[in-house]
Amino acid sequence: MPEPVLELQGLEVRYGSVPAVRGLSLEVGNGEIVGLIGPNGAGKSTTLHAIMGAVPAHAGDVRLHGRSIRGRPPERIARAGVALVPEGRRIFSDFTVEENLRLGLAGRRKRNGADPLQQAYDLFPVLHEFRRRSAGALSGGQQQQLAIGRALVAEPEVLLLDEPSLGLAPMAVDAVFEALRQIREREVTILLVEQRALHTVALADRTHVLAGGELRLTLGPADAANKDKIIAAYLA
Amino acid sequence: MRRYVEGAVQLLGPVALVVVVGILSTTVSSANRIYFLNALVSVAMVVAIYVFVGNSGVLSFGQISFVAVGAFAAGVMTVPLDSKKGVLTELFPLLRDHSIGNIPSLLLAAGIGGLFALVVGLPLMRLSGLAAGIATFALLEITHNILQQWTKIGPGATTLSLVPQTTGAWQATLGALVAIAGAFAYQRSRLGRQLRASREDPAAAQGIGVDVHRQRLWAFTFSGALAGFAGALSVHLLGSITTDQVYLELTFLTLAMLVFGGLTSLWGAVVGALAISGLDSFLGQAEQGVHIGFKLDLPTGSRLVFLAAIMALVLILRPSGLTGGGEFRIPGLRRAGPREEAPAPPA
Repeated sequence: MPEPVLELQGLEVRYGSVPAVRGLSLEVGNGEIVGLIGPNGAGKSTTLHAIMGAVPAHAGDVRLHGRSIRGRPPERIARAGVALVPEGRRIFSDFTVEENLRLGLAGRRKRNGADPLQQAYDLFPVLHEFRRRSAGALSGGQQQQLAIGRALVAEPEVLLLDEPSLGLAPMAVDAVFEALRQIREREVTILLVEQRALHTVALADRTHVLAGGELRLTLGPADAANKDKIIAAYLA
Repeated sequence: MRRYVEGAVQLLGPVALVVVVGILSTTVSSANRIYFLNALVSVAMVVAIYVFVGNSGVLSFGQISFVAVGAFAAGVMTVPLDSKKGVLTELFPLLRDHSIGNIPSLLLAAGIGGLFALVVGLPLMRLSGLAAGIATFALLEITHNILQQWTKIGPGATTLSLVPQTTGAWQATLGALVAIAGAFAYQRSRLGRQLRASREDPAAAQGIGVDVHRQRLWAFTFSGALAGFAGALSVHLLGSITTDQVYLELTFLTLAMLVFGGLTSLWGAVVGALAISGLDSFLGQAEQGVHIGFKLDLPTGSRLVFLAAIMALVLILRPSGLTGGGEFRIPGLRRAGPREEAPAPPA
């Protein structure tokens, strides 16, 4: 396995006295895609929010390149190189497509030669086509591309995605997964939370099944063919 | 290129409106001129408030504090030296023994307004929603009482008079234009966009690296500077001022202007300021009795009753204000569709 970029060590998150994530440990190596699947309420989104600093971790640690980022505010974690594509896309609908992408620059740390907006346009040509349109006028699939593009212009090392295929038509779902393949080729490290278990298992280097806030099982790409195993993991 | 054309159009509306009011002010009798100039100064004040409230979505009842600080700083520092030594005897020697000209006075007011906003903004900008509204109200109360009681920095509870009346048609128009240009440049800047994004969705904005607290603080500071500047314009228009003139009623009036025009756009701030200011002047005269084909004589106090009722009505019937919360657009001149100008995307 490549050197871990993102590590969770015994992560615990509670909402009041209700535990949402219990002792979760996992690693995501450089350029890997790691999937996180499981039923509703398993603690998948909470895990991403805890990494991002949007909810406090009760115990355990979150490490980026071996250094703890636990307890930092979200904007500082974003600037340290972690980008979240939130559930429901959360694009800024009053702004144009291009303005949305430019906002992503707020989390950018380094400036190298390449124009980050152009990289997003290369990945999602439709964003270039509609760059002057109000983002609220895009279709759901296009908005999802915009949300991913907005996260990428910050040139993050780690990309966190929270159910990017939620509510999308099947073709748009395929487009999202295809984009993730291309993003992996750029050596971006990806932690993907999904409900589409088969798609995720097939794409990811490893997929962890989470239930009741705990890690239950880890699947490899070879398991994608084994539907029964995945279904059993969900029902366990 | 298109971006600049679009921007120019958005700026055109507010600028044209202000220039027209400025020109009109020179054509009316000197008794009526004050109403026009007052409207222009109101534009500067409301635009100042808009810079923070409109862009951040956080309500503030405290921005008139900065108008007050600017007005008294400008007023105290421009009263001619020989009169100052006679009436403002308790001032700190630095304030008592110096006097400055018109332009330095406007700049000083902007600087002090901005500095004051920065200092109080450091703790206040951590709040949002109801807590922010109440805390900024507390700020207004603190500022008012300090200005009213501390005679080492101003006239205290008495009227500050003998301030040079340098705000004529030119200064009022240019002053309003400066505020508009500043607000416009800010809202189109990277910082302004970040703050507006946080207004739409604070959590999403933080998630892409926007430091919401810091962006609010910049806007609060810039708003304070413009408010101080507007306060200076005001005191140089009136020639005299009391602490009660920059307190609750002005807070209410300027917020009514902003709500009436539309909280979230510069165009709304300008339209609201001019419309409510005009109405306010008219109702004020109607309380004294005016002839508009018939004699209209309203009972005393009906001015504020009407204005408050209008504010409530707008909030009920058209919550995004007269302009709908959008910037100025020329009807028929719409954003070109992507097909007309974007090169075909690679397949």
